[in-house]
Amino acid sequence: MDSFGSGASSNLDLTKLSDRDKQELQQFVVNESQKARIQQSIHSLTDICFRKCITGKISSGKLDRYEEPCMQNCVDRFIDANNIILKNLESMRTAGS
Amino acid sequence: MDSLSTSNLSAYASSDPKTAVMQQIRQEAAVQNARQLVEKLNEHCFTACIPKPGSSLSRAEETCFSACMEKYMAAWNTVSRQYVARIQREAGQGGLGGNF
Repeated sequence: MDSFGSGASSNLDLTKLSDRDKQELQQFVVNESQKARIQQSIHSLTDICFRKCITGKISSGKLDRYEEPCMQNCVDRFIDANNIILKNLESMRTAGS
Repeated sequence: MDSLSTSNLSAYASSDPKTAVMQQIRQEAAVQNARQLVEKLNEHCFTACIPKPGSSLSRAEETCFSACMEKYMAAWNTVSRQYVARIQREAGQGGLGGNF
Protein backbone atom coordinates (compact mmCIF):
# COMPACT_ATOMS: atom_id res chain seq x y z
CA MET A 1 0.00 0.00 0.00
CA ASP A 2 2.78 2.38 0.88
CA SER A 3 4.65 2.28 -2.38
CA PHE A 4 1.38 2.54 -4.19
CA GLY A 5 0.51 5.73 -2.37
CA SER A 6 3.87 7.35 -2.94
CA GLY A 7 3.90 6.29 -6.58
CA ALA A 8 0.74 8.21 -7.29
CA SER A 9 1.51 11.10 -5.01
CA SER A 10 2.69 13.34 -7.84
CA ASN A 11 -0.89 13.65 -8.98
CA LEU A 12 -2.83 12.44 -6.04
CA ASP A 13 -2.88 13.37 -2.43
CA LEU A 14 -4.24 10.32 -0.72
CA THR A 15 -3.60 11.79 2.70
CA LYS A 16 -6.55 14.09 2.16
CA LEU A 17 -8.94 11.18 1.89
CA SER A 18 -11.45 10.88 4.65
CA ASP A 19 -11.34 7.79 6.84
CA ARG A 20 -14.46 6.53 5.20
CA ASP A 21 -12.97 6.91 1.73
CA LYS A 22 -9.80 5.19 2.85
CA GLN A 23 -11.77 2.28 4.14
CA GLU A 24 -13.81 2.09 0.99
CA LEU A 25 -10.66 2.15 -1.10
CA GLN A 26 -9.07 -0.57 0.96
CA GLN A 27 -12.11 -2.77 0.50
CA PHE A 28 -12.05 -2.02 -3.21
CA VAL A 29 -8.43 -3.13 -3.45
CA VAL A 30 -9.18 -6.34 -1.59
CA ASN A 31 -12.07 -7.10 -3.94
CA GLU A 32 -10.10 -6.28 -7.05
CA SER A 33 -7.19 -8.44 -5.95
CA GLN A 34 -9.49 -11.34 -5.47
CA LYS A 35 -11.04 -10.77 -8.86
CA ALA A 36 -7.58 -10.63 -10.41
CA ARG A 37 -6.61 -13.87 -8.69
CA ILE A 38 -9.70 -15.64 -9.96
CA GLN A 39 -9.14 -14.32 -13.44
CA GLN A 40 -5.57 -15.54 -13.31
CA SER A 41 -6.79 -19.01 -12.37
CA ILE A 42 -9.21 -18.95 -15.28
CA HIS A 43 -6.37 -18.10 -17.64
CA SER A 44 -4.18 -20.92 -16.44
CA LEU A 45 -7.06 -23.43 -16.36
CA THR A 46 -8.03 -22.49 -19.91
CA ASP A 47 -4.42 -22.96 -20.92
CA ILE A 48 -4.15 -26.40 -19.34
CA CYS A 49 -7.55 -27.65 -20.45
CA PHE A 50 -7.32 -26.34 -23.99
CA ARG A 51 -4.13 -28.35 -24.35
CA LYS A 52 -5.90 -31.48 -23.14
CA CYS A 53 -9.27 -31.12 -24.83
CA ILE A 54 -8.60 -29.51 -28.18
CA THR A 55 -6.29 -31.96 -29.83
CA GLY A 56 -7.64 -32.31 -33.36
CA LYS A 57 -7.41 -29.99 -36.29
CA ILE A 58 -9.20 -26.70 -35.64
CA SER A 59 -11.88 -26.24 -38.24
CA SER A 60 -14.63 -24.40 -36.40
CA GLY A 61 -14.68 -21.52 -33.95
CA LYS A 62 -17.20 -23.23 -31.70
CA LEU A 63 -16.47 -25.88 -29.14
CA ASP A 64 -17.89 -29.16 -30.46
CA ARG A 65 -19.94 -31.63 -28.47
CA TYR A 66 -16.86 -33.40 -27.16
CA GLU A 67 -14.77 -30.36 -26.44
CA GLU A 68 -17.31 -28.46 -24.36
CA PRO A 69 -17.91 -31.22 -21.76
CA CYS A 70 -14.20 -32.01 -21.81
CA MET A 71 -13.40 -28.43 -20.82
CA GLN A 72 -16.01 -28.55 -18.05
CA ASN A 73 -14.75 -31.86 -16.71
CA CYS A 74 -11.19 -30.65 -16.92
CA VAL A 75 -11.97 -27.68 -14.68
CA ASP A 76 -13.81 -29.79 -12.13
CA ARG A 77 -11.16 -32.53 -12.05
CA PHE A 78 -8.42 -29.98 -11.69
CA ILE A 79 -10.10 -28.50 -8.65
CA ASP A 80 -10.71 -32.02 -7.28
CA ALA A 81 -7.02 -32.73 -7.72
CA ASN A 82 -6.15 -29.50 -5.97
CA ASN A 83 -8.44 -30.37 -3.08
CA ILE A 84 -7.00 -33.88 -2.77
CA ILE A 85 -3.52 -32.46 -2.54
CA LEU A 86 -4.59 -30.08 0.20
CA LYS A 87 -6.32 -32.90 2.04
CA ASN A 88 -3.29 -35.18 1.80
CA LEU A 89 -0.96 -32.44 2.91
CA GLU A 90 -3.21 -31.77 5.85
CA SER A 91 -3.20 -35.42 6.91
CA MET A 92 0.57 -35.56 6.49
CA ARG A 93 0.82 -32.54 8.76
CA THR A 94 -1.38 -34.03 11.45
CA ALA A 95 0.33 -37.43 11.20
CA GLY A 96 3.73 -35.81 11.52
CA SER A 97 2.99 -33.82 14.64
CA MET B 1 1.41 2.38 -20.66
CA ASP B 2 2.84 4.79 -18.17
CA SER B 3 1.92 7.94 -19.98
CA LEU B 4 -1.51 6.53 -20.58
CA SER B 5 -2.22 5.84 -16.94
CA THR B 6 -0.81 9.11 -15.67
CA SER B 7 -2.80 11.20 -18.07
CA ASN B 8 -5.86 9.25 -17.08
CA LEU B 9 -5.08 9.79 -13.43
CA SER B 10 -4.68 13.52 -13.60
CA ALA B 11 -7.98 13.87 -15.39
CA TYR B 12 -9.70 12.42 -12.35
CA ALA B 13 -7.36 13.62 -9.67
CA SER B 14 -8.65 17.14 -9.55
CA SER B 15 -12.21 16.03 -8.92
CA ASP B 16 -11.92 12.99 -6.70
CA PRO B 17 -8.78 11.06 -5.76
CA LYS B 18 -10.72 8.04 -4.63
CA THR B 19 -12.46 7.60 -7.97
CA ALA B 20 -9.17 8.22 -9.73
CA VAL B 21 -7.44 5.41 -7.88
CA MET B 22 -10.33 3.04 -8.49
CA GLN B 23 -10.38 3.90 -12.14
CA GLN B 24 -6.67 3.32 -12.38
CA ILE B 25 -6.88 -0.07 -10.70
CA ARG B 26 -9.75 -1.20 -12.90
CA GLN B 27 -7.93 -0.14 -16.00
CA GLU B 28 -4.74 -1.89 -15.07
CA ALA B 29 -6.63 -5.08 -14.29
CA ALA B 30 -8.31 -4.92 -17.69
CA VAL B 31 -5.02 -4.34 -19.50
CA GLN B 32 -3.40 -7.19 -17.63
CA ASN B 33 -6.28 -9.47 -18.50
CA ALA B 34 -6.20 -8.57 -22.17
CA ARG B 35 -2.45 -9.01 -22.35
CA GLN B 36 -2.68 -12.43 -20.79
CA LEU B 37 -5.37 -13.49 -23.24
CA VAL B 38 -3.44 -12.28 -26.28
CA GLU B 39 -0.35 -14.11 -25.12
CA LYS B 40 -2.22 -17.39 -24.70
CA LEU B 41 -4.10 -17.00 -27.96
CA ASN B 42 -0.88 -16.51 -29.80
CA GLU B 43 0.81 -19.42 -28.10
CA HIS B 44 -1.97 -21.94 -28.69
CA CYS B 45 -3.04 -20.86 -32.13
CA PHE B 46 0.48 -20.62 -33.41
CA THR B 47 1.10 -24.18 -32.32
CA ALA B 48 -2.20 -25.39 -33.75
CA CYS B 49 -2.28 -23.48 -37.01
CA ILE B 50 1.32 -23.00 -38.07
CA PRO B 51 3.15 -26.29 -37.71
CA LYS B 52 5.65 -25.33 -40.42
CA PRO B 53 6.15 -21.58 -40.81
CA GLY B 54 6.40 -20.64 -44.47
CA SER B 55 7.55 -17.41 -46.07
CA SER B 56 4.15 -15.82 -45.41
CA LEU B 57 0.85 -16.62 -43.73
CA SER B 58 -1.24 -18.73 -46.07
CA ARG B 59 -4.97 -18.28 -46.52
CA ALA B 60 -5.58 -21.58 -44.74
CA GLU B 61 -3.43 -20.51 -41.81
CA GLU B 62 -5.35 -17.27 -41.45
CA THR B 63 -8.67 -19.11 -41.50
CA CYS B 64 -7.34 -21.52 -38.91
CA PHE B 65 -6.22 -18.60 -36.76
CA SER B 66 -9.58 -16.94 -36.64
CA ALA B 67 -11.32 -20.23 -35.86
CA CYS B 68 -8.72 -20.95 -33.20
CA MET B 69 -9.11 -17.54 -31.57
CA GLU B 70 -12.86 -17.94 -31.48
CA LYS B 71 -12.52 -21.41 -30.03
CA TYR B 72 -10.04 -20.35 -27.39
CA MET B 73 -12.29 -17.55 -26.24
CA ALA B 74 -15.25 -19.94 -26.15
CA ALA B 75 -13.10 -22.25 -24.05
CA TRP B 76 -12.18 -19.34 -21.78
CA ASN B 77 -15.83 -18.52 -21.22
CA THR B 78 -16.70 -22.15 -20.51
CA VAL B 79 -13.88 -22.39 -17.98
CA SER B 80 -14.91 -19.12 -16.40
CA ARG B 81 -18.51 -20.24 -15.91
CA GLN B 82 -17.52 -23.66 -14.63
CA TYR B 83 -14.83 -22.37 -12.30
CA VAL B 84 -16.87 -19.55 -10.82
CA ALA B 85 -19.85 -21.85 -10.26
CA ARG B 86 -17.59 -24.34 -8.52
CA ILE B 87 -15.88 -21.92 -6.20
CA GLN B 88 -19.20 -20.37 -5.31
CA ARG B 89 -20.57 -23.79 -4.48
CA GLU B 90 -17.56 -24.65 -2.33
CA ALA B 91 -17.53 -21.29 -0.61
CA GLY B 92 -21.21 -21.79 0.20
CA GLN B 93 -20.43 -25.09 1.87
CA GLY B 94 -17.65 -23.48 3.84
CA GLY B 95 -15.36 -26.21 2.61
CA LEU B 96 -12.05 -25.83 0.86
CA GLY B 97 -13.23 -22.95 -1.25
CA GLY B 98 -11.00 -19.93 -1.44
CA ASN B 99 -7.88 -21.99 -1.09
CA PHE B 100 -7.08 -21.81 -4.72
